[in-house]
Amino acid sequence: MTEASPPGEMTGPQVVLALEGVSRVYGTEVLVRALDDVSLDIWAGEYLSIVGPSGSGKSTMLGLLGVLDLPTEGAIRVWGTDVTCLADGERSRLRGEAIGFVFQQFHLIPHLTALGNVETALLYKGLSARERRGRAMAALEQVGLEARFDHRPVQLSGGEQQRVAIARAISTDPGVVLADEPTGALDSRNADNVMQIFEDLRSPERAICTVTHDLSVANAAQRKISMLDGRIVSDEMLSHDQGVGT
Amino acid sequence: MRRFRELVGVAISGLTARKIRTALIMLGPILGVAAIVAAIGINESSKGHLKAKLQELGTDLIVVNASTGMGFGQDPVIEAAAVSRVSRLPDVTAVTGTRQLSDIVTVPFEGAEDYYRAFPVPVIASGLSLPKTLEVPMVSGRFLNDYDRDSGARVAVIGRDLADEYGYLAGEPRTILLNGLEYGVVGVLDWVLLEPSMDSAVFVTFTSAVEDWELDEPDPSRLYVRAPTHTSLVAAEIPTVVSLGGPDGANASVPTDLLDAQSQVDESLNNLTKMMGGLALVVGGVGIANVMSISVIQRSSEIGIRRALGHNRGTIAVQFLFEALVVGVFGGVLGALVGAGVVWGVAEQRGYTMVLSVAGLVAWALVSVGVAVVAGLYPSSKAARLEPLETLRLG
Repeated sequence: MTEASPPGEMTGPQVVLALEGVSRVYGTEVLVRALDDVSLDIWAGEYLSIVGPSGSGKSTMLGLLGVLDLPTEGAIRVWGTDVTCLADGERSRLRGEAIGFVFQQFHLIPHLTALGNVETALLYKGLSARERRGRAMAALEQVGLEARFDHRPVQLSGGEQQRVAIARAISTDPGVVLADEPTGALDSRNADNVMQIFEDLRSPERAICTVTHDLSVANAAQRKISMLDGRIVSDEMLSHDQGVGT
Repeated sequence: MRRFRELVGVAISGLTARKIRTALIMLGPILGVAAIVAAIGINESSKGHLKAKLQELGTDLIVVNASTGMGFGQDPVIEAAAVSRVSRLPDVTAVTGTRQLSDIVTVPFEGAEDYYRAFPVPVIASGLSLPKTLEVPMVSGRFLNDYDRDSGARVAVIGRDLADEYGYLAGEPRTILLNGLEYGVVGVLDWVLLEPSMDSAVFVTFTSAVEDWELDEPDPSRLYVRAPTHTSLVAAEIPTVVSLGGPDGANASVPTDLLDAQSQVDESLNNLTKMMGGLALVVGGVGIANVMSISVIQRSSEIGIRRALGHNRGTIAVQFLFEALVVGVFGGVLGALVGAGVVWGVAEQRGYTMVLSVAGLVAWALVSVGVAVVAGLYPSSKAARLEPLETLRLG
């Protein structure tokens, strides 16, 4: 088995995540084709958004891109490795290393502190407690929450909880951050803060992919993918400083 | 090892986040182990006490009671001649006959008749070798002797508790009144473990019993026989030796056998309590499985997040299994401590020497761990099977 890993030396843009002819069908008697023969490459360093009305297949695609689900047909490649052929343990390891998640409802573990939540992403990776704590604190610093490391989610505002979730997503230094409606549960001020953080997180090694209804969030990306009825109907480049579209 | 520490840390943080729930599910193992440890400990301590008592009494004492013969309406007795026949048996080293006398009011001084009529003191006509046969020493003075028997002197020996009740001082010239007749106290007999009623009794000679209380013959109703060897055989032989085929029968028994039987009864009770403790452990295990299954549903979002963060199914299963394990370990240890505390309390209260096996404590704590782990198997496999996409509700 080929072990997937991030490219050691960047010789040019690398594909971090790729969907190849992916379809996802739900149901046994009544079949619902939520995603229909979709192909998409996500390149290191690009910032893309996926938009579309309800039922267009955005969430299904996010689940597949995040390797939280497997396609009925087609392949999902993470750093070139087809994860549909991997066992759960290897697939989970790859997910933990390559992908960071930010959810609309934050999904922090309520009994853990901000630091504990970020550290959760660094468990079982062979790090010492000191290393784990250091990396988690560094991630909290990146989102400006190092002073509130010992607060539990209930003691934090919605915006702060989302920033902790972002810190958790980037603490493992993933190749791609997948964000599901990251500003959906926030007021406009906190939403602007979160968008600014996403802007700041951009780097040549890391892709950012947001799934959203919000056009202002979608237009902040450099590449916008529109979906309808389980298919990609447009793939636009909003700016041309870097990145490659399909 | 690092992974193990991380798993234990996650399990403990999951349990401490819900302290009351954790305490409640720990109650099962605690009660189960405590019940079993207490049952075994109390029984062992009590058996230890019995063994000490047996050691003190010796296992070679035979008690012979007269059984009803042909003479209806009369108290059964053993004829005096039978006493010497028993004493001539091989292996018998001492024999003493006794007979409790009825309707005698014993008072330590004049004017106390009303009280002692309500609370009568037993008066026992005894052979002269009672201390030797029972192997009980005198606290003070002497026991009844040949001169007392031959002369019919009105002398008495009293039990140790009665001496305390009377405020009798060692060597003090003291008389007591038996139905108004003055008897001189010549000695105090120490506690008789086998016959605690003797501790508050008055002993007189058979001669006094015949002369003062109109006993027809100096016949005892009970014999105490000491046979250091072949005790059981001697006990089996005695009824024949006493009756010689005649109507006056006797029953012989070895009291220490009764104590042994008593310890067997305790063993049955012990087994019953152990079964109840085991049942409590099983019920506790079912409680753990039940509460943890509900917990898996409540924590499905947490499980989904952990899966999204790269924790695989095995890790999730082991995390929940470790939570069950921690419940079992703490429940087992606390249960063992509570059980040991109960044993200590009972031993203190009843004057036993506390007997508790450390290996037993560890073994039962381990049983609790085993029950908890088995109980945690289903919820942990259920947690591992949860699909992260279903618990995270994307979009």
